[in-house]
Amino acid sequence: MRLPSFNYLEPITLTDALNLMEEYHGRAQPLAGGTELLPRMKLGLTHPTYLMSLKEIHELKGIKSNKNELYIGGMTSLREIFLSTLLQQKFLAISEAAGSVAAPPLRNMGTIAGNLCQDTRCFFYNQSYFWRRGLKPCFKAGGNVCYAVPGSKKCFSVYQGDLAPALIAFNAKVRIEKKGSSRIIPIEELFSGKGEKPIVIADDELLTQVIVPIPEGIYGSSYRKFRLRNALDYPLVSAAAFLAIDSEKKVKSVKVVLGAAGPAPVIVKEAEDILKGKKVEESAINEIAEAAYKRAQMVDNLGLPASYRKKMVRVFTKRAIENAFNSIK
Amino acid sequence: MKGMKKELITLRVNNEDYEIFTYPNKTLLEVLREDLMLTGTKEGCSEGACGTCTVLMDGKPIRSCLMLAVEAQGKDITTIEGLSEDDELHPIQKNFIEQGAIQCGFCTPGMILTAKALLDENPRPTEDDIKVAISGNVCRCTGYAKIVKAIKESSK
Ligand SMILES: Cc1cc2nc3c(=O)[nH]c(=O)nc-3n(C[C@H](O)[C@H](O)[C@H](O)COP(=O)(O)OP(=O)(O)OC[C@H]3O[C@@H](n4cnc5c(N)ncnc54)[C@H](O)[C@@H]3O)c2cc1C
Ligand code: SF4
Ligand code: FES
Ligand code: FES
Repeated sequence: MRLPSFNYLEPITLTDALNLMEEYHGRAQPLAGGTELLPRMKLGLTHPTYLMSLKEIHELKGIKSNKNELYIGGMTSLREIFLSTLLQQKFLAISEAAGSVAAPPLRNMGTIAGNLCQDTRCFFYNQSYFWRRGLKPCFKAGGNVCYAVPGSKKCFSVYQGDLAPALIAFNAKVRIEKKGSSRIIPIEELFSGKGEKPIVIADDELLTQVIVPIPEGIYGSSYRKFRLRNALDYPLVSAAAFLAIDSEKKVKSVKVVLGAAGPAPVIVKEAEDILKGKKVEESAINEIAEAAYKRAQMVDNLGLPASYRKKMVRVFTKRAIENAFNSIK
Repeated sequence: MKGMKKELITLRVNNEDYEIFTYPNKTLLEVLREDLMLTGTKEGCSEGACGTCTVLMDGKPIRSCLMLAVEAQGKDITTIEGLSEDDELHPIQKNFIEQGAIQCGFCTPGMILTAKALLDENPRPTEDDIKVAISGNVCRCTGYAKIVKAIKESSK
């Protein structure tokens, strides 16, 4: 499969990149590792006029930290995030999520910014031009039908990024920059919740950094991912859990986030009410799993039937919470 | 697109420098196969999912079908053609043959390069290390047991 035509830009500083984005009026699409964008371009799903590679911008690479916060540059590879001992010790769920993406060669190439900004997916959309040619365009392709949910008025494509749920469980934020300005938002605000256009980031903006507050006290975390093959596959359901406890093992705070359960990561808001101030017991975990099950929005548009994936929400939510608890040393 | 211009790019492949006049939308895979005639690198899926197009970039396995050739400038690229010395096959290649780890051979260049990167980083990998390392490479005929064995033999 060939790539469509485009013009290529290669800034070597962030300032140059932001200038180019302004100069080309949002028509310069960022190219990070390319492992998500280039397949979509080959399928003819998107046709950028300009591709702007960020690979030479070294200031966007690497992991730093101070007493309060961890900083991950947008162009840091998933391999580096997975292998970082700091992350393995203090942010296990994030490391596990990075280590679960695709397969090792794709983690050498793929970056955290590209992972967060990836598009939603659907069996009826992520297909070749030849395959799609037989059908009228669906909502996501600019048309007005949905093949996954016939008769519906919107798109149900699924956000299958692995990093976002784990990062949200840690209350992480992202820095978004454009020429002359910079803003920081919680990662959940990066998502519109709309399958048609899931990522809320303007055409002239770049995601430059991920900022994770370093939790205090005793805590653990975990990311569990359901897929058919243990490599290469996107999540069919996933769950990230963060759990902080006091010296009596009572829960001080808890956050549970689902992946592949709708067009955006899903925060299981009930978790805090159910567990806070209590010990981590099976009945409470089951209750959270039930709340997660109710929140997950699934339709028949990925590798397995929606009904089955939805049942797996309970299983993986429980596993994430149990593993988070067991990871507390 | 009107106006897409060819560029002169320089690639370092198997310790040799090549100058190629090509379009920015050419992948590294296409340039290796079509301009440099290094057809040992295979095109399977073309979308990152099979591993037949694996080459080493600065010693690490990457998908050449998802890397633009222009982006590969300034890096050290190793393809399967770069492994043997004169007519002598690389020990990993010999072990693949001896262990019967090859049937049609389509996955083999990617498997061997992935194995080389693993062994360069970790000369004594466990069986699980090997399985994880080749988890992104699909073989449709040999099955994985003999491939894992061939890599294990190469670590001795
Ligand atoms: C076979 C296969 C399996 C995969 N499995 C998984 C999986 O299990 N889980 C998973 O999460 N992903 C998976 N992926 C998708 C992809 O590999 C990862 O999500 C990867 O992290 C994407 O990062 P990238 O740097 O390659 O992004 P790119 O492809 O370069 O970019 C992705 C998108 O983000 C935008 N973008 C990139 N950087 C920025 C920035 N700094 N600011 C603003 N926008 C930006 C791009 O314009 C593009 O729209 C898989 C891909 C393949 C081919
Ligand atoms: S969920 Fe419906 S509208 Fe959205 S991509 Fe799939 S078929 Fe298209
Ligand atoms: S051809 Fe590149 S991964 Fe299949
Ligand atoms: S030997 Fe045929 S695909 Fe592996």
